[in-house]
Amino acid sequence: MADTSTARNRIAWIVLAVLVLGAVAFSLWPRPGADSVAGRTRSLAREFRCVDCEGLSVADSQTASARAARVEIRRRLEAGESEAEVRAYFVDLYGESVLLKPEGTGIGLVVWALPVVAVILAGAGIVVAVRRGRRTPRLRATDEDEALVARALGAEHGTDDRADDGDER
Amino acid sequence: MRVRVRAVAVGVAVVLVGLAVVLALNVGRDPRADANRSQLLGQPSPTYDLETLDGAPVSDESQIGRTVVVNFWNSWCIPCEQEHDALVAWWAANRDDDAVTMLGIVREDTRRAVERYVRDEDVTWPVAMDPGGRAALAFGTRGQPETYVISPSGVVVASQYGPVTVANLDDMVAAAERVG
Repeated sequence: MADTSTARNRIAWIVLAVLVLGAVAFSLWPRPGADSVAGRTRSLAREFRCVDCEGLSVADSQTASARAARVEIRRRLEAGESEAEVRAYFVDLYGESVLLKPEGTGIGLVVWALPVVAVILAGAGIVVAVRRGRRTPRLRATDEDEALVARALGAEHGTDDRADDGDER
Repeated sequence: MRVRVRAVAVGVAVVLVGLAVVLALNVGRDPRADANRSQLLGQPSPTYDLETLDGAPVSDESQIGRTVVVNFWNSWCIPCEQEHDALVAWWAANRDDDAVTMLGIVREDTRRAVERYVRDEDVTWPVAMDPGGRAALAFGTRGQPETYVISPSGVVVASQYGPVTVANLDDMVAAAERVG
């Protein structure tokens, strides 16, 4: 019985691990066309904030300034500039606030590090909890315990019987 | 086991204290403060090569040697209407000064609407359309009106987001003339 339960637990963990790894691999898998100029333009345009609209990227906005920015990104990529150079051009022009994703330096580092730290702490917490659960000794009832329970149950039944008799009178 | 739990607790506490310190150091710091100030100040003028409504070519190179007030505007923006009288007054006082000039660059508007506005509202300084918004992008504009002042040597010395006044314009032009 215990072996079956352990085997089930293992299978559940394996399935969970496969699902998590599969999801990570799927998200990281390169999409078709991502290396084309159009794909790189779309990808970069998603990184920049539309400067004259709220909460939209250059890729999502239809304002004239967003269209001009998309054209400029494409023009620069076609001219042979790298993504980093295009990014630097927009940051020089508008400041770091043009980036929708915070940079991995300064206060921006906290934004990136916080989820990682949270996951590590949560993992550590789960490991500690599981180990503590395993180390808690499983108590088996001794003959003496069972006799004690039997006596207590017997006494309880006896009391109930007497109560029933009393009701009849 | 108790030691391990304590170690985890200490770890969590250290991380939380670290975060608290970082957040405390950054309270009051606006992460988008750079959106309130042009990044071009002190930089060479962006390149622009446009055509005025009269068909005359105008570019950054053609205006070297003069202080240039570049005003991004359009016919439908209310703040542009609010600054219009100041632009008219400033231009009336300076149009005969060969050392300075003003160029209106249209941001996100149609030629027909702009021509009607120019005719009806007595806009007598040069105005150029900006096909594809390339000049607006090169100046890093975020909206309109926005005004930039370029020194005779071709450096962006001042900028103003929102409506200008005559006093603003005089101050910015004076700064440009000091830079030379």
